[in-house]
Amino acid sequence: MSAILAIEDVTVRFGGLTAVNKFSMAVQKGAIHALIGPNGAGKSTVFNCISRIYQPSEGRITLNGEDISKLKSHSMAGRGVARSFQNLELFNELTVLENVMLGAYSRCDTTFLQRLTPRPKQTLEQAEEILESTGLKNYRNTKASGLDFGHQKLLEVARALAISPQLLLLDEPAAGLRSREIERLDELLTSLNKTKGITILLVEHVMQLVMSISDRISVLSFGEKIAEGTPTEVKNHPRVIEAYLGTKEAGRG
Amino acid sequence: MIMNPITNRQVLDLPIRESGAKNRNRIISGGALVVALAVLTVVLPFVTSGYVIYIANLLLVFTVLSLGMHIVIGEAGQFSLSHAAFYGLGIYTAGLLNNAFGLPLILNIIAGGLVAGLCGLAIGFLSLRMRDIYLALSTFAFGEAMQWIFLNWTPVTGGPNGLNFQPAHLFGFTFLSDKAAYPVVLILALVFVAATFVIHFSTLGRSFRAVRESEIAAAAVGIDVKRVKIFAFALSAFYAGAAGGLFTTFSTFIHPESLGFHTTILVLTMVVVGGIGSVSGAIGGAIVFGLISELLRQVPSYQEVIYGGILILFMMYLPRGIFSLIGRR
Repeated sequence: MSAILAIEDVTVRFGGLTAVNKFSMAVQKGAIHALIGPNGAGKSTVFNCISRIYQPSEGRITLNGEDISKLKSHSMAGRGVARSFQNLELFNELTVLENVMLGAYSRCDTTFLQRLTPRPKQTLEQAEEILESTGLKNYRNTKASGLDFGHQKLLEVARALAISPQLLLLDEPAAGLRSREIERLDELLTSLNKTKGITILLVEHVMQLVMSISDRISVLSFGEKIAEGTPTEVKNHPRVIEAYLGTKEAGRG
Repeated sequence: MIMNPITNRQVLDLPIRESGAKNRNRIISGGALVVALAVLTVVLPFVTSGYVIYIANLLLVFTVLSLGMHIVIGEAGQFSLSHAAFYGLGIYTAGLLNNAFGLPLILNIIAGGLVAGLCGLAIGFLSLRMRDIYLALSTFAFGEAMQWIFLNWTPVTGGPNGLNFQPAHLFGFTFLSDKAAYPVVLILALVFVAATFVIHFSTLGRSFRAVRESEIAAAAVGIDVKRVKIFAFALSAFYAGAAGGLFTTFSTFIHPESLGFHTTILVLTMVVVGGIGSVSGAIGGAIVFGLISELLRQVPSYQEVIYGGILILFMMYLPRGIFSLIGRR
């Protein structure tokens, strides 16, 4: 296996605050890789660097060997990098179908005349297919703002899928979901990874999901990587236990 | 909980939001309105006087202006307070070209649109890096500066005396009256209506609305947010400039006084009254509010106060516009 995404010694500073410090991580092609850590550890910051919303102060990020650390945010979709947002960034006043169709923006309709086509057949068909597979089909003409929270989360994933990503970045896709919904998300992500070969990098707090689907887990605490490995390795890593539960002494007290 | 027997997943059991009957009513009421308008526009020149036709022509020009404003505010969600300036650029460009070269009307209109559109491109490039109030202020400043130029560049624009232009002509036919101009104004306005609907339902329109709804998500799906904003702004300026060219079809005089901030506010009000984000709202708003503004000419000193009052009332009580009452959500 080769790395699809490599983060090398990335440091991000906001003013005097170092949010991420010399962080390195490699995501293998075809893997489901989770990035976990306590609140404020810098996970979303790393995500925002990959999707080019933040500029790292130092370090390098490569996608299939290409240095992407100088690229603009909107050029990532064309490279097959899709993402969902922790705090929902849907096109609220647009319908579910329109949201998903917009996901395909970077791939088709390249000429101006094509952009004026009302509903490009290919885009529409693909969008319908995604709505079907994510279980959003019955909501296709509902405004995104009219969905309940769980379905809004799902729509975030559906829109990202319309990019036809090789790398899918999911920022807390399970946060706020009910356990039944989490099970369905688990099935969906596993099937996307197995059948479509999409590499998934996810930030997540819901350990039930992380431990169940991840091939590999990196743990971030206070902006630094403290552990990396398989779910079992990470679960038993002393520094991870310390970061999540405090030191043994404090736990006893 | 209903389960799908094959996949053993929960089948979505929430009601689908839009009921068929409500949808049908919407289509019927909307259709009836369109038919009534179509009959009215055809019958109008046969049953009314020159003044009424002049008003009809003016309303059609306002429709194009309002559609332009709709593109930048309603679709792309960006502020523009310089529409009167783009409109003026179109009028002066078309009028001056007609005076100098006697070109056919269509070429004057296209030239008017292009000059305004190119200015829009430049202004958009400079000001769209700013947001909200700063964007509004910088476009406002451009509008004021342009009106100053119209007023003071006397050798070209006629300055405070206004500018007379030759009657426009097309295919060897010279438009000497409002009635003669009406069919052409109507057809060209309809071209812009059609174009706006095409944009609204296209990928381009969707990308405009994506930028309006969430810039960060728009970028994530591959939309070059800055470029789309600038393009929407320039396109909207093109509409305004073309509306200016259209104005020269039936009018042979322009005074800079009518190209000030109040005209921008008038167009803005049309879009708000019609319902921000809706194409039919922008058209309806232009017609309804164009008529209101024409009636208000009887009481010129209260005109602006009444505009302002209507604008505030709509924002407070009918933010989705007057047409949200009959059909459109």
